[in-house]
Amino acid sequence: MEPGNLDAPARVKDGLRQQGYIASDEVATVLYLAQQLGKPVLAEGPAGVGKTELGKAWAGAAGRNLIRLQCYEGLDETKALYEWEYAKQMLYTQLLRDKLQQVLAQANSLGEAADRLAAEEDVFFSMRFLLQRPLLQAILSEQPSLLLIDEIDRADAEFEAFLLEVLSDFQISIPELGTLRAVHQPLVVLSSNNTRELSEALKRRCLYLFIDYPDPQVELEIVRLRVPELPAAVGRQAVELVQHLRRMDLRKNPGISETLDWARALLLLNAEAIDPDTLENTLSVLLKHERDVQRARLNLAREARGAVQDVEPGEATRWEH
Amino acid sequence: MGTLSSVDARIVSFIQALRAEGLRVSLAESQDAFFATQSLGMLDRGAFRAALRAALVKQHTDQPVFDRLFPQYFRAGAPPMLQASGELSAGDMDLLQMALESLAEEYRGLLRSLLEGRRPADELRRRLRGSELQRQIQALLAELERLGMPAASREKLEKLLQINLQAMQQEAARTAGEALLRRPARRPLGEPSADLLDRPFRGLSQSEQALLRKEVARLAAKLRTRTALRQQRGEGPRLDSKATLRAILRHGGVPFQIITRRRRRKAKFTLICDVSTSMRPVVEFLLLLLYHIQDQVGRTRSFAFIDRIEEISDPFSQHRPEVAVPIVLRRLPPGYYNTDLGHCLAQFSARHLEALDRRTTLIVCGDGRNNYNPARAELLESVARRAGRSAWFNPEPPTLWGIDDSDMLSYLPQVDAVFQVSNLRQLSQAVDRLLP
Repeated sequence: MEPGNLDAPARVKDGLRQQGYIASDEVATVLYLAQQLGKPVLAEGPAGVGKTELGKAWAGAAGRNLIRLQCYEGLDETKALYEWEYAKQMLYTQLLRDKLQQVLAQANSLGEAADRLAAEEDVFFSMRFLLQRPLLQAILSEQPSLLLIDEIDRADAEFEAFLLEVLSDFQISIPELGTLRAVHQPLVVLSSNNTRELSEALKRRCLYLFIDYPDPQVELEIVRLRVPELPAAVGRQAVELVQHLRRMDLRKNPGISETLDWARALLLLNAEAIDPDTLENTLSVLLKHERDVQRARLNLAREARGAVQDVEPGEATRWEH
Repeated sequence: MGTLSSVDARIVSFIQALRAEGLRVSLAESQDAFFATQSLGMLDRGAFRAALRAALVKQHTDQPVFDRLFPQYFRAGAPPMLQASGELSAGDMDLLQMALESLAEEYRGLLRSLLEGRRPADELRRRLRGSELQRQIQALLAELERLGMPAASREKLEKLLQINLQAMQQEAARTAGEALLRRPARRPLGEPSADLLDRPFRGLSQSEQALLRKEVARLAAKLRTRTALRQQRGEGPRLDSKATLRAILRHGGVPFQIITRRRRRKAKFTLICDVSTSMRPVVEFLLLLLYHIQDQVGRTRSFAFIDRIEEISDPFSQHRPEVAVPIVLRRLPPGYYNTDLGHCLAQFSARHLEALDRRTTLIVCGDGRNNYNPARAELLESVARRAGRSAWFNPEPPTLWGIDDSDMLSYLPQVDAVFQVSNLRQLSQAVDRLLP
């Protein structure tokens, strides 16, 4: 199936699968709708569940060019939309100085010279000297594109308002160049880690998707698709363990990307099964905080011995009289 | 503009019901719902549901409400009803008509509708459930036997009657249920009464607390706007020397481009909260409020104490405040402990003093009652001195300060400001005063 022919939710689901992304029916339906209605998709969920991957996979499945904008606090219009390349303009001015002399040579008065210069204005304020940032790239792109705006909740409220303006019309007014309209309306995916409340107006504009940690069967399917050489038994054990870790009250739960990294690590180590030694050595691939690693070790050891309670290291008799 | 189709009308009442449950569905979103369902059609129930959800539910916390109401409005296809004339031969139909004449007048019409799979008239519908109906059906069958209808046909007829009866009973139940649902959809949204903000935390019931929690989000939004406005009206843009120097390098040292920056000084908070049983509601609301305005304040670190001090900032960096507060409170089970602020201040000075610096505002939230343990006010003085500003939030009225085991009078001179926070209004005003 060639990319681009996504005219039904089932086709979307297959297309995503070919790109290596396992999507539920609901996700496929929402993406299909977003395409039909021309609305952006807002994907929320914990870190590491595949929101960015969704954008990439959808771009691949739809045969669109992926343009990515990573948001951070303090991101403003210049970094997101466009900038004038002053240095280039200055350079051209210097190099074209002789020609400029020629053009202005016949001018008799200062006013006339200024007028002649003004006539040449669009040499210096043209697309040539415009540094296009992701948003403008997406608007002016000649091929159909997909705009992936990552971690929109890290940007501030002013940027959200500005983004809303851009997303509603897909046209930009640059004072020197006029209004630039989109040739192909890009697909837009916004991802958010849910660390702060997004503005209502932005949410209203988008179709909403909540992507949560997957079920064991789905996670196993993902591991099989992405790391096919891993023996099935090891894969199953790995997925069970990760699911178990997520139920512990850890500071940062391992996401799907951590599971896949661990699967690849196990493959590299030629692990036949996950024994305590292998686990001990590779736990840092899954858990990124020292406290979590200790807690997981303690709990797993306790469970191996038969105790059931979840316990924080060094906390044995905390607050309990 | 024509009338709505039945599906669209059903979607409209569904949206009304969602709004009655507190979901904020805007007009634009309801339009999206219509377009989405038109685009997908009604055939695939899963796709239809996904379309409605994507257009109407914009917050993950609203998902359970949607899940509860969807099956009540969009049932998965009613079972089909059979027709007697299609199942029985012509001769049997004649026998049937004769047998019907022998029945009681009231039930004749009802049975005729049942036999044809037609919905009975409204006044007859309440008889659908009665045992009298079953007796009439048995009487009909007995009459048919007497008239000589073969057993096979009678069996078929009985099955048909039971199927149709069940289908009609389900239909009746559904319409009744919907009528009930439509009534609450007209109920106006409950607003917390103004005096709820003024009621002391101790006197609140569970439901009132739940209402207030929702109110906190609104208050936080107000605080956020006020802070943002104050920042905007503050000093003008200042030179950003680092960025300017970097820009200058591009042009060979000529200051072609001067980059300015607004000086945004976000407040940083460090909380030390007493989480003994009497203080819990206050602390819960304070944490909720401060973490709702997280984007306008810098890093907030929180510590809880009763007889020992413990940092509780972690869940707040991971989850939304409404989820994090219960996590924190679960970790610290209530019980009978002796509050000992002096000891906890000593622990704080030993372990966590790095949380305080010149730009941090320290908030101590407690009633200042130490169960006659040493007050150690000098420790509070050294800790407060390290912070840029310090404040004490006390839910008790000032008349009680210093009475019994309250050490407030020795703590008072060590902090820069004291606020009485016995209700939510006072709490939000106090926080507003502390924000830049």
